[in-house]
Amino acid sequence: MALLETRGLCKSYGKLEAVKDLDFQVEEGELRGLIGPNGAGKSTVFNLITGFDSVTAGKVLFRGEDITGMPAHKIAKKGIARAFQQCFLFMFSTVLENVLVGCHMSSRAGALREFLHTPAARRQERAAREKALRIIDFMGMSDLVNELAGSLSHGHQRALGVAMALACEPTLLLLDEPVTGMNPTESAEMVQRIRRIRESGITVVLVEHSMEVVMNVCDRITVLSYGRKLAEGRPEEIRNDPVVIEAYLGKEEA
Amino acid sequence: MGIGNLVRSKRFWLGLVLVLAVALPFLIGAYRLQIFIFAITYSMLALAFRLTLNVGLPRFDVAAWWGVGAYTTAMLMLKANMSFWLTLPIAVVMSVVLGYVVFSVSIRRGMMVFMMFGMVFALAIQQVLGTVKFFGGWGGTPALPPVTIGSHVLNNKMWIYYVGLAFLLFNVVVYYLLFNSRIGRAWNAIGSGLRLASSLGVDVVGYRLANVLVSNAFLALAGSFSVMYQAMVLPTTYGFQRSIYVMMYVVLGGFLSPLAGPIIGAVLLTSLSEAMRAVQQYEPIVTGILTVLIIMFIPQGLTGLLHGRVRPLFLRLWPAKAGVQVKGPAGSTQVSGPDEKAGG
Repeated sequence: MALLETRGLCKSYGKLEAVKDLDFQVEEGELRGLIGPNGAGKSTVFNLITGFDSVTAGKVLFRGEDITGMPAHKIAKKGIARAFQQCFLFMFSTVLENVLVGCHMSSRAGALREFLHTPAARRQERAAREKALRIIDFMGMSDLVNELAGSLSHGHQRALGVAMALACEPTLLLLDEPVTGMNPTESAEMVQRIRRIRESGITVVLVEHSMEVVMNVCDRITVLSYGRKLAEGRPEEIRNDPVVIEAYLGKEEA
Repeated sequence: MGIGNLVRSKRFWLGLVLVLAVALPFLIGAYRLQIFIFAITYSMLALAFRLTLNVGLPRFDVAAWWGVGAYTTAMLMLKANMSFWLTLPIAVVMSVVLGYVVFSVSIRRGMMVFMMFGMVFALAIQQVLGTVKFFGGWGGTPALPPVTIGSHVLNNKMWIYYVGLAFLLFNVVVYYLLFNSRIGRAWNAIGSGLRLASSLGVDVVGYRLANVLVSNAFLALAGSFSVMYQAMVLPTTYGFQRSIYVMMYVVLGGFLSPLAGPIIGAVLLTSLSEAMRAVQQYEPIVTGILTVLIIMFIPQGLTGLLHGRVRPLFLRLWPAKAGVQVKGPAGSTQVSGPDEKAGG
């Protein structure tokens, strides 16, 4: 059974069909790339999977369970976390505070205990803090723990977004353009980390514009164009697929 | 410890304010003390207003829930001969249960619907209080019996002031505990980025509802307190105008300090309106203009001026960037339209 599966997934905004009849399967432990020209519907697919956008038709299954139409926080509880394409952060909070929100689900002690700050709640709080610091360290941001998210460089903001998603302890991590806007060094570091995240057992779906990154790290790649699946396969197959080449070049000529 | 450290120490200021507040009845006369009794009540209202801003929900039904608390207490004292103290938990439960009925439907539909439902409720509740015979009509309830502790009658201003101060302290302690817990963090997250919070597993609707009901509980408590210093309860006291004033207290005090801001704003504006008693008819105009000027020139409010040094970024990012990506601290910027949808 696939970890994540979409069946005949459709999304239309009025007459515009952003996603059309998408069948898409991600196996457990896989690192999947999701690529396509601008406006191909990659981010929309993420929005549909995570419950941010309503599905027009079709289904999203996670571990065989139908999660279509569930509210976003319930889907997060099922084990799907995402890092956003835009720098979606709590800009006026510190790096640590941001990641601590990501620990929301795992640090639960019960409302009354949390309010009264009982020993159990404080233990949870300490554990959350340690976990957050570990994740921040993993993302190479230990020296920025107390910086405001809004004052970070673009690359670090992206990294923070990934750190927050990791704090959710996901089974499936959706990364929306994690290296866009990064310099080559930052980008290489991020690629390293994505590999390590995957090695730790988290399944990753990666939307990315940088072909180099996608070809480099992904096991398999799905190509979208105008909301439809154009091709799917191993990186070398995709690289040489005439249909894919045409879709990309056609887009650039236009 | 040098004088500089002392001035910068939060504890020093907190202690000083507390000492002054306790000593106040011995420093000023009974008439002046009455103003501070009002200020205490309005501080509680302002704190409750500020609380829901944490989850990105401005509410303009503050005075109506304040009235629910006041009328519950007044009616129980009058019709059931109940002791004032026993009515407190009942008033709180009343406000929370009624709040649950009103908001469990509206809150999942986002900020605008929440706000409109609240205002419609506020209008309705005032009409009910004014026209239903049971509540005494527009002329108010019959004269209320005095509040007692045992055989001691709490009829002098000093006692009322101290009870109010105790209520306010209770407010502050509960808020402080909440804000510094996982609950407070989730609330803040919702206020600063609804979608982001929900993607991290925060149940936006549930936490918003809890937040609003806590606010409701404290509004009712403030309402019960207001019964203490009034000869009778009038529906017009709990009208829409007071809700607008409460918003102005919070604007003046500043959004960045969820505890100090509302209290400072309420005390200052209540004093101002008292100072203008001789030209009472102009008071709303002056207060209104003052509020507009503050929004234009120090949008972060009085307490925000202090934060400005600590968080200069806030000042840089403040102008007009209240869009989708850059979010202010909880409640300080409007939650943008598309963001709001995730609440449903």
